[in-house]
Amino acid sequence: MKIYVLKRVLSLVPILFIVSIMIFMIIHVTPGDPATVMLGDTATTEQVEALRNELGLNIPIYQQYINWITGILHGDLGYSFFMRQSVTMAIISHLGPTVSLAIMAQIMAIIIGIPVGIIAANRKGSLTDQSIMGLSLLGISIPSFLLALLLILLFGVKLQWLPVAGYKALSEGMWVHLKYLILPIIALGSMQVALIARMTRNSMLEVLNMDYIKTARSKGIKERNIVYKHALRNAFLPILTIVGQSFAVLVAGAAVVETVFNIPGIGQLIINSIERRDFAVIQGIVLFVALVYVLINLVVDLLYGVIDPRVRLNHK
Amino acid sequence: MVDQPLLRIKELRTHFHTERGRVTAVDGITLHVEEREILGVVGESGCGKSVTSQSILRLFDEKRTVKYEGEIHFKSKNLLKISNANMQKIRGNDIAMIFQDPLSSLNPVYTIGYQITESIMLHQKLQKKKAYEKAVEMLRLTGIPAPEKRVNDYPHELSGGMRQRAMIAMALACQPRLLIADEPTTALDVTIQAQILDLINRLNQELNMSVIFITHDLGVIAEICTRVVVMYLGQIVEEADVEKLFSNPLHPYTKGLMKSIPQIDGDRSQALHVIEGTVPSLHDVPNGCRFASRCPYASDLCRAKMPELKIVKTGQKVRCWHYEEILEKEEVDV
Ligand SMILES: Nc1ncnc2c1ncn2[C@@H]1O[C@H](COP(=O)(O)OP(=O)(O)O)[C@@H](O)[C@H]1O
Ligand SMILES: [Mg+2]
Repeated sequence: MKIYVLKRVLSLVPILFIVSIMIFMIIHVTPGDPATVMLGDTATTEQVEALRNELGLNIPIYQQYINWITGILHGDLGYSFFMRQSVTMAIISHLGPTVSLAIMAQIMAIIIGIPVGIIAANRKGSLTDQSIMGLSLLGISIPSFLLALLLILLFGVKLQWLPVAGYKALSEGMWVHLKYLILPIIALGSMQVALIARMTRNSMLEVLNMDYIKTARSKGIKERNIVYKHALRNAFLPILTIVGQSFAVLVAGAAVVETVFNIPGIGQLIINSIERRDFAVIQGIVLFVALVYVLINLVVDLLYGVIDPRVRLNHK
Repeated sequence: MVDQPLLRIKELRTHFHTERGRVTAVDGITLHVEEREILGVVGESGCGKSVTSQSILRLFDEKRTVKYEGEIHFKSKNLLKISNANMQKIRGNDIAMIFQDPLSSLNPVYTIGYQITESIMLHQKLQKKKAYEKAVEMLRLTGIPAPEKRVNDYPHELSGGMRQRAMIAMALACQPRLLIADEPTTALDVTIQAQILDLINRLNQELNMSVIFITHDLGVIAEICTRVVVMYLGQIVEEADVEKLFSNPLHPYTKGLMKSIPQIDGDRSQALHVIEGTVPSLHDVPNGCRFASRCPYASDLCRAKMPELKIVKTGQKVRCWHYEEILEKEEVDV
């Protein structure tokens, strides 16, 4: 098991290296000059040129990359001239809302999606199953901005139960914090709920057809234990994969939801930074998100080994 | 008083609801299993052997797909009438089952020990530690070397033969009165197959339990069973003691099966005789004799009307219109 963990961790190094190059390339080939954007239309060519020098945009591109990556290896993500603070600080100061939002959306997705999927699988073909499948199809197809607007309209404007937008930090109290986040969480998490429910149902149905389920039944095991002990643990691997991957979807969704609800999180920061052509921040955030994504998938991989003994064996 | 048979099945019918309509996979099976007897059930694949055996334990989904008819008497109870909870007490405890493919029949994410102790703790209410001791004992009984180590292995860590032994240990953990073995050797190679047959034979005597041994291979039947039931398309077509069946097969289907047993010492260059044609689909079951379309002796009567399962002079039972004529004809030929 230790070797398995070590192997998985080491395999991340080349992945992150390639990711860093790709991030850098994509950002630097997109049109739009940050110096021009920062100075506005009225600036003279000399002024723009001076700022480009200051931002380090005039040295060769590979040199820029090397400078950037050396900085990162020293824990320095760069400096945002626009925000007049280090990129690390900018990310940290916007991290709270996004972390709250993403974690709670994911928790909602798991605690609703998995049981609902199991229920649907247990009653395959019933009205319950059909309703769950229908709703989940809706959940997958409705865009999060549209759902966000509908939620605001209903619960914020019409019923006035919840604030239409804004954000209050956890330090102002759990209830206030939640009150502002409920609608964004629903808007962001619905698709995950639907995805996880469908994946759980399919995976359970597949496993419930396996021979060892029949064996368990022939031993006199109660139906409940067959589902939760014998089937669920086997069905869990694909579910776990979806949970891991859905993180990427959550981050993309957070950008939209944070914009609609005016939440000062990473999503909003990256959208604003793109408008400003604030390369340093964009690069920093994308790399940060990539890192978190890779780490989450590492955890998922390690959990595979915990759940399924055959995975451990293959990597011995 | 005459001993009651351990298991008595009367006119069992198992219907499935499928997308293409209702099919009757088992159509009026009547049989019994004596105490300590090994009853063989033989027939080509698709004849309803597995459905029959799994109907005894009611393993199919009664809410959605299956409907049983008839009677299955075991220990003065009709298993088709008792509640699901009572059925669960019988499964694994009084009647246990082993399946064809031990790898897919064992749960890959739990150790052998966990899977054996599960039913011990459930039915015998033993503590975990005691249950593990019992599991090790059962593994030893089935001839697994170093059972105290193997008990912590996962199914994929064992060889095919060891897995089937572990399955047997699991099935026998609660000393069932009846073991249903559904093609337990089909997925194994020949030497391992012989070992598993020996094991089942030995345990049948040592543990005083009855066995229903299902196979598509009459050769295997000869080695292990005392009495045989031959199945074709959901029905019994012949029933006999094993010596009678081999010395004097009556049904043309049984005769066909006999010819397809590979002869170890026989002429290898000669192609194996296989019965021509295939088992008809359950969706269009013939009106008359179900074997008529493949039978060399079939007449108009056969195609029009289904023969009953009749007891004949020799004590055998056979479902055929023409078995007597066929016998006479064969005697003339010889
Ligand atoms: N759950 C099921 N639903 C519908 N048909 C089934 C089901 N299980 C088995 N059958 C059908 O019943 C027939 C007998 O199958 P089976 O008992 O498995 O044959 P075998 O003699 O090879 O064990 C087959 O035609 C099979 O397609
Ligand atoms: Mg079968």
